[in-house]
Amino acid sequence: MRSGEPALVLDSVTAGYRDVPVLRGVGLQVRRGEVVGLVGPNGSGKTTVVRVASRALRPRSGSVLVAGRDPYAVPAREAARLAAVVPQDLTPAFSFTSLEMVLMGRTPYLSPWGGGGPEDWARARDAMVATSVQHLADRWIEELSGGERRRVVLAQALAQGAPVLLLDEPTTHLDIRHVLDLLRIVRSLAERRGTAVLAILHDLNLAAATCDRLVVLHRGEVVAEGVPDRVVTRGLLRDVYEVELDVVTDELTGRPSVRLGGWRPAGGGHGRRAHVVGGAGRGAPLIRRLAEAGFDVSVGVLHASDTDAVVAERLNLLRVSVPPFSEIDPDSAREARRLMLEAELVLVCDAPYGPGNLENLRLALEVARSGVRTVLLEQVPIAERDFTGGRATELWSALREIAEVVAGYEELAVG
Amino acid sequence: MNRRYRRTLAVLAMVLTASFLLAVAVGAVWISPWATVRLLAWKLHLTARPHGVPRSTEVILFQLRLPRVVLAGVVGAALAASGAVFQGLFRNPLADPAIIGVSSGAALGAVAVIVFLGSGALGAFGVPLAAFAGALLTALVVYRLARIGPAVHVATLLLAGIAVAAVISSVMSLVMSFSGDQVRDIYAWLLGGLVGQGWSSIEAVMPLVAAGVIAAGLTAHDLNLMALGEERAAQLGVEVGALKRRAVAIGALLAACAVSVAGVIGFVGLMTPHLLRLVVGADHRRLLPAVLLAGPTILILADLVARTVLAPQELPVGVVTALLGGPFFLFLLRREGRRARAVG
Repeated sequence: MRSGEPALVLDSVTAGYRDVPVLRGVGLQVRRGEVVGLVGPNGSGKTTVVRVASRALRPRSGSVLVAGRDPYAVPAREAARLAAVVPQDLTPAFSFTSLEMVLMGRTPYLSPWGGGGPEDWARARDAMVATSVQHLADRWIEELSGGERRRVVLAQALAQGAPVLLLDEPTTHLDIRHVLDLLRIVRSLAERRGTAVLAILHDLNLAAATCDRLVVLHRGEVVAEGVPDRVVTRGLLRDVYEVELDVVTDELTGRPSVRLGGWRPAGGGHGRRAHVVGGAGRGAPLIRRLAEAGFDVSVGVLHASDTDAVVAERLNLLRVSVPPFSEIDPDSAREARRLMLEAELVLVCDAPYGPGNLENLRLALEVARSGVRTVLLEQVPIAERDFTGGRATELWSALREIAEVVAGYEELAVG
Repeated sequence: MNRRYRRTLAVLAMVLTASFLLAVAVGAVWISPWATVRLLAWKLHLTARPHGVPRSTEVILFQLRLPRVVLAGVVGAALAASGAVFQGLFRNPLADPAIIGVSSGAALGAVAVIVFLGSGALGAFGVPLAAFAGALLTALVVYRLARIGPAVHVATLLLAGIAVAAVISSVMSLVMSFSGDQVRDIYAWLLGGLVGQGWSSIEAVMPLVAAGVIAAGLTAHDLNLMALGEERAAQLGVEVGALKRRAVAIGALLAACAVSVAGVIGFVGLMTPHLLRLVVGADHRRLLPAVLLAGPTILILADLVARTVLAPQELPVGVVTALLGGPFFLFLLRREGRRARAVG
């Protein structure tokens, strides 16, 4: 087969255990020389896909083709020449040396009499060189470190010489160096030998950074498929993983990367809203903490390039912003007032106040007077951040009389 | 590694030869190893009849000592190989034909034939075949009971073995209540004894043991893969269902051969593979030859102890192996427990 031809094809596969269908009409393809990442939440059926493809679980309907053959129509020996599996981890019941373990990968080629010919030994050696474990050949498998053992198991699978390689969470319990090492080996296999690789990966960033294509499984169905930057999106994270997270493009790799800071469960909040009046980054920590506590957070009015505005945008919050260095226009002010009046809680941060954002304090005072719970965050005295010649101080003082004052989020009672 | 393995085999072979000559020599009458060697050479048509060896020595050697020691060797080999196969199949060093109830099943089969039909009724192979049927049936029942979903767990395996052995033992008591005068002999035989067996017993089981050993050898490589778990074995090209059926049959056959001539002898099948795994590693292709040399040695020496410590009285050889093997089993059980805790 030439590079680019499909080596693993699942077509509307339905499979499961007893009465429980785990996969529902799953279709996917992996071409020669291609590394495809299989991602999805826990319980979405990823391992079942590998089991179906490796002749361990016969699909109830649909078809599986591995290197053009139906693995369920051939004996186990032949199927093992078509697809090799790298399991999560392997702890043999008895002690074997690394070399013995790797030679077991030659099982589909051995006669029952023989212990393996020169070719089997050569293939085993090659596989051990490819995964850099040749120096461990005579060591007992249980004496090896986790990373070494995983590479021996990878060598065992490589010794099978199969055109399709299935990896079932190959990176669990490995440190980052060994993770990258393992994926580098797999990648070079795909490139040099044209092996078709399907890898279950839990880490989306890792998957996006190392795979040619991603297939997303959710509740037993393929819900997205394609190159990483088409697949790893905020929408995917929200709909499939049920988290609100920001996705940025990694400057170095050009691949999508999930930003893990400031996450919150999608639709998981309690529906109460807090409005933060911030600026100059004074609001950012508060915004994150409130979002994590399950609040719907709205912010404003902010200047568009302000740190607080960037955070609000990343978290996809309701926000009112105006262009940098401009004063707050009447429309924005009206919008912000509405957000504040409808909020359960208004938090006013100890930002520097100048002509550009003085309107915020006026709005806050007005809203506080109308009875909305208002809290001032005050770590820096207003005198040090009044750039309005005293007008901000006046408003702040008026606010202090009717609002609660706290020195940090911890003091805020939001139960 | 390979040189070391060959050296190990050579050492095991030498120890076996020495044990053999010692066991043949010791008894009411001392027969010097040199006389044994010369008489054997003569019997094998290699030399002329040696001078100066009394006729009585020749009779004692060929009629009494040799059959007994050779039988001990054959039974030891069968038990050890059976243990190796069951341990490989169940992925557990605690599996042993006696512990999982297979030997009891074989014994029941054999006793039923002896009591109801007479030991010669079905020809030389009658008792071994009945034992095989009993062993196979027991192995299948225990396996089915121990199996939960796709996996055979150790705890359920041992429990199923105990439960089935208990049922078998009560059925055995029932069968023996029909046996009248034979009860004492059968009881002695059940405890494991190599007393009073001639060459005919050896001729009856030898071909079956040989067949079992060859079949075990052909299964050895696939058994290695079972150590990685059934799913992994299947991924590497083993037809797991067929392998399990074959291994159960081989283990049962070998155990049945041993039981049909020597009764229930425990712990040889447990200890031998386990000890040798520490020396030659877990690869069954290397383990099996080693076990076939060490199993006979252990049983020959155990039998030597059984017939000499209280001479002229004899202990059942099963008692000797149990005295040796019981503590060993407990040691293994504790170690496995610690390992399970460490892993879990």
